[in-house]
Amino acid sequence: MYKVLISSLVILLLVLPVYAIDGTQLLEQVDKNLNPESYEAYRKLINVEPDGKRKEYTLFTIKKGTDKIAAIFLAPASEKGRSILRLGDNMWLYIPNVGKPIRITSLQSVVGGVFNNADILNLDYVAEYNVESLKEAGKEYLLSLKAKTREVAYDRLKMWVDKNKLLPTKIECLTEKFLLIKTLYFKDHKDFGGGLVRPSIIETDSPLYKGYKSVIIYARIKRRDFKDESFTLTFMPHIESLRR
Amino acid sequence: MKILIVLLNLFIFLPALAYGEDQYKFDLAETEKKPYHFGGYAEFRPVAFWPNTNTAQYKLNYYKRDPGGNTEEYNGKLQLEGSYEKEAARLYFKTNTDYKNSYFGESEHSTFYEGYLSLKPSASLKVDAGKRTFKWGKGYAWNPVAFIDRPKDPNDPELALEGYIVATADYVKSFDGPLKTISFTPVLLPVYDHINDSFGQNNYPNFAGKLYLLFYDTDIDLIVFTGGSKTTRYGLDFSRNITTNLEVHGEFAYIRDYQKNFIDSNGNSYLNEYDAKSYLLGIRYLTAINTTYIFEYYHNGTGYTEVEMKSYNSFIDKGYQSYLSTRNDSLLQKAATLTENNYGRVNPMSNYLYLRVSQQEPFDILYFTPAITGIWNVDDKSMTISPEVLYTRFTNWELRLKAMFLIGAKDSEFGEKQNDYRLEFRVGHYF
Repeated sequence: MYKVLISSLVILLLVLPVYAIDGTQLLEQVDKNLNPESYEAYRKLINVEPDGKRKEYTLFTIKKGTDKIAAIFLAPASEKGRSILRLGDNMWLYIPNVGKPIRITSLQSVVGGVFNNADILNLDYVAEYNVESLKEAGKEYLLSLKAKTREVAYDRLKMWVDKNKLLPTKIECLTEKFLLIKTLYFKDHKDFGGGLVRPSIIETDSPLYKGYKSVIIYARIKRRDFKDESFTLTFMPHIESLRR
Repeated sequence: MKILIVLLNLFIFLPALAYGEDQYKFDLAETEKKPYHFGGYAEFRPVAFWPNTNTAQYKLNYYKRDPGGNTEEYNGKLQLEGSYEKEAARLYFKTNTDYKNSYFGESEHSTFYEGYLSLKPSASLKVDAGKRTFKWGKGYAWNPVAFIDRPKDPNDPELALEGYIVATADYVKSFDGPLKTISFTPVLLPVYDHINDSFGQNNYPNFAGKLYLLFYDTDIDLIVFTGGSKTTRYGLDFSRNITTNLEVHGEFAYIRDYQKNFIDSNGNSYLNEYDAKSYLLGIRYLTAINTTYIFEYYHNGTGYTEVEMKSYNSFIDKGYQSYLSTRNDSLLQKAATLTENNYGRVNPMSNYLYLRVSQQEPFDILYFTPAITGIWNVDDKSMTISPEVLYTRFTNWELRLKAMFLIGAKDSEFGEKQNDYRLEFRVGHYF
């Protein structure tokens, strides 16, 4: 009897290896592989119109822990000095002319185009989503994620993860009723140093913006610790002073 | 012929190939930090006015003139800004030059909006000395707690403003738990001859302070101003996101011993001293289709009542009739003096509603934002309605077409303005 039971268990483990992987652990690993917990990064955001015309923005970004991230625009001149701060579900925008931080929402877009504020200041996935299911899809895992709170920008995500690299290849952002809002494509893996190899380009398109696409390019990501005070409203006008 | 076709194909497709190859290029050199920065903003803004010759403000401003119908105005603006940074020190300046060519002739005014030295020994502490702006308060159109700022124009609340010469510091501390951030900003604002003398009474060192808390995901500011240049005043403001697409904010200001100058319809002047209370409540709401609503109610405790405003307008009418019959403009001169800093303030009455509806990128047109703004004087039922379209497709260029319709009965605030409507076009370039 015991032999039959053990044999059945072994067969089950062999034929269904995917169930040996914990979805939450996989998501944590994806987060770790995408970014160090605390880092600085230089990113370029490009909005591409159907006729190929582009508008580009350069950002310096800092992140600490699971709930603190901020960015300041370095270019173009019309946006220079604007900064955005996210503390958990709270988001603010600082415009030099306005002279004070104003609260913004994750669904707005400070730059227009397909990326919204939550895409630009994205926290760790595991901080915002629970894993509902994990499936195998050829060379990839398919994670179905559900937002932990209603404050999260997208109610649901479908994330395709490369089995070998444990990095996302594609993410579909969905409403609660599974309507597609946008798709993110992770491309061009690059060695950023310090053991960090990750996609350097995130491209997105959306059925809501037919023909348009937006792209984020990472030029540099570097592990770096920051004081908590760097992620405050008072510090928003001075984020650029953290550049070295 | 084949060579020609090949060359033609190369000419047509080479740019496309090149575009594909470096489609997403980001050169590390673009991220190098320079110790200095220099930039600016230039603007050209022609405005057309359709005046109403029967209004009090028209009579006050044009009683000696006859512009003969519609008038135009050509405005230019140049702002230069620069900074130099070395270790913990940063020097920053911003200049502003306004040029105006109107019916009244040409005028030009240049000044430093800001110019100060910052020392930042740590992420927690920053000390500034020089001329700078503060922009305290959470309201979009009005800020009753902005005790040490120049008043902003609710018709263009995002315009840069001139600062005051101050010494100030920011101390900020972060925590885990419901109280996430606390920061304290003390300000010394001296008012003497040639130093901040437009702020208030001369020969007083004035002190202001702001304590900011991020407490249970709510921004809270506690503000105080005291000194001799203006009476002591206390303020409180807050802002909080109720949901991802709904923000609420508010301000409350308590101004001690406020002195209100007003006149009756015969021109007799009065001074009323009282503790004034001003407050504002507002929301910012974003819909699923990216429409933003900003709605605010503002009670101006220092404002005029409907009766006081009516008396002021009646006095201007009397002054105008007196001028027509005697050519003596002394009454109108008196009215003009009282207009400045009193009746001539932006939104000088007691109760207002503000609504701005803007649609980001409708019909999938990127960088295109139409909006409509309404300011309603609750007391006299007059209003302004301003539709506008903003287009920012071209990098560093901003194009805005804006109209304003002023609607109101006789003796109402907007009904007695000198124009019925206006149309302006603004071309701005950042460099």
